[in-house]
Amino acid sequence: MKIKNVLFLFVFAMSGAVCFGQDSTAASASVEERIDEVKGQVDGINETILDMKSTLDALKKIKISGYIQAQYQAADKDGAASVAGGNFPATAHERFLLRRGRVKFMYDNDLTQYVMQLDAVPSGVTIKDVYVMVKEPWMRAVSLTAGVFNRPFGFEIEYSSSMREAPERSRLFQTLFPGERDLGAKIEIAPESGAFSWLNVKLGLFNGTKNTLDETDNFKDVIGRVGFSLPFTETNLALDGGVSGYFGKVRTDDGKQIIKVNSATGYEVSTDPTADRTYIGGDLELYYDIPSFGGFSLRGEYISGKQPGAAGSSSYHAVGGGDTYLRNFMGYYVTYVQNIGTKNQFVIKYDVYDPNTDLSGDDIGLAANKSTAADIKYSTLGFGWIYHWDGNVKFTLYYDSVKNETSKNLSAFTDDLKDNVLTFRVQYSF
Amino acid sequence: MKNILAALVIGLMVFGFRGAEETITVKGSDTMVILAQRWAEIYMSKHSGVNVQVTGGGSGVGISALINGTTDICNSSRPMKNSEREKLKKRYNTLGVEVKCAKDGLSVYLHESNPVRELTLEQIKGIYTGKIKNWNEVGGPNAKIIIYGRENSSGTYVYFKDFVLGGADYISSMQSLPGTAAVVNAVSKDKYAIGYGGAAYAKGIRLAKIKKDANSPAYEPNPENIKSGNYPITRFLYMYLPSRPSGAIKEYIDWILSPEGQNIVTKVGYFPVK
Repeated sequence: MKIKNVLFLFVFAMSGAVCFGQDSTAASASVEERIDEVKGQVDGINETILDMKSTLDALKKIKISGYIQAQYQAADKDGAASVAGGNFPATAHERFLLRRGRVKFMYDNDLTQYVMQLDAVPSGVTIKDVYVMVKEPWMRAVSLTAGVFNRPFGFEIEYSSSMREAPERSRLFQTLFPGERDLGAKIEIAPESGAFSWLNVKLGLFNGTKNTLDETDNFKDVIGRVGFSLPFTETNLALDGGVSGYFGKVRTDDGKQIIKVNSATGYEVSTDPTADRTYIGGDLELYYDIPSFGGFSLRGEYISGKQPGAAGSSSYHAVGGGDTYLRNFMGYYVTYVQNIGTKNQFVIKYDVYDPNTDLSGDDIGLAANKSTAADIKYSTLGFGWIYHWDGNVKFTLYYDSVKNETSKNLSAFTDDLKDNVLTFRVQYSF
Repeated sequence: MKNILAALVIGLMVFGFRGAEETITVKGSDTMVILAQRWAEIYMSKHSGVNVQVTGGGSGVGISALINGTTDICNSSRPMKNSEREKLKKRYNTLGVEVKCAKDGLSVYLHESNPVRELTLEQIKGIYTGKIKNWNEVGGPNAKIIIYGRENSSGTYVYFKDFVLGGADYISSMQSLPGTAAVVNAVSKDKYAIGYGGAAYAKGIRLAKIKKDANSPAYEPNPENIKSGNYPITRFLYMYLPSRPSGAIKEYIDWILSPEGQNIVTKVGYFPVK
């Protein structure tokens, strides 16, 4: 009996063990299957992530930036002529103005770049920059840029309007380089490191017609700058500067003359088929960090040369505009910017533009020398305050006090014009 | 117009000089984020009126934040580039202030089971540029090398590229990960992986000994070798500010450079500058 009971218990126990073993094996197999399944899912997710990453890496090369400048302006009188955003309407001396609405698209493939910048304001959408940049891969120091882009002259042209402290460029640059850009190609040598990292050379060939306008002659304008940048990091002082040149020609219109407005008592006439457009300039920028206060910069630029313009304008001669008026000009500006902490900046700027250095005062406006309002010298003292709200938004309050040369022989310029302008601007940039 | 001008000037000045808070924001290098957090925690525990906020994102992200004014201090595991200094000049009229706050031995990570113990700089360059694809080319098993690295916003990525690769491009098959801890984690799970990053993160993996060239002795990234300069991939860790510091920020930086602050550098696994 006992043996039977023992045998029964043994068989029962064994059958239970076998059953348990079968369950355990089945469970183990099930866990392995689950692990394989999860592993497969993880591998699938990894593949998806890698695929997304390659897409994301490509998208990272696309960079979009831009800024909007909206402003309120008040001038001394209705219809004031101004270079601070354009002349005021004839019946208004206050206005709201959307000065710039820029958006810039860049595909940055490190050694090559595609760039397009548009300006969208109520008066329309215009192209500002469209160019391709290619950099050599060996030293990464030499690059070629072709398309529509800033002319490589001086300092102020390439200083972005979104960063500039004064709302507008100097009258000098607005007159000589309207729109700042031109169609052409340039070579730039700018070593990123090494013994010559302080050097920067730019040399380009351009149509000379400004911005996106078609070429009108077979003369290409040569524009270049040799610059230096000396950082003294231990003392937190930097000295930058450069020498620039513009050597171009403009074609005179068929049957038209070149009028050289270069004397109080008369003028010279030439029938040369071209007139020289020659500028020589120099710029210097000093930066220094004042302890417990903030950094300051003192920047200045001087340009002189020959400018082929029109009878009523000292801007560059456009073909189809009649006789070419050739004038010797001079201009400069000095800007002082003081950072106060990291949020506030104070700026004071003085600029002078004399479109005709051979004439002054009452000599201007005489029929005998063919001078006009285009020969009047201007000086502007501007000062303002900038508050950086955050990384995107800044407010600018700026006042331009404009003085002009007077001449009793020009009825509109017998006295200083009422053309001072106050600007209050808010800018959003990203 | 004079009334408008006066009102706007007064308004802007009052607005512009609002009272500043005693909050210091620190942003940048992921390599330095643990160190920066330790500094912040200990400093805040002893200076109750100061709030130090630390975030990572990478050296490039930190420098961008410094330029656009969204951080007081930028942590960077690489020196600032000329192009970045130019941007600082335009915004702050300064070159920025550089503070060397620690030293780091940039380590090369291998899986614990990997029989390869040492690599020359040339071999590392070969691996990361794609010339060397199999471990048997550097004395290891016949297995494909799985390469991990950092994203291009990382200062470690830039430093490794400039210093070890001599400016050459990384192989396109390198798997870029968002932080040094992620690189360590990936290498610890992959027998045939290689990665790089700061020594302070080297947990669960083996650090390769590095040789300047085939004839040089191999050095591991330990404190003696990094301090002496024998370890070939040694770098400074930096803090950048837009201009010379004052007030609470100056006191914080002075404390970081003090023996107490530098002692934390050692505890985290980096090396003091003094």
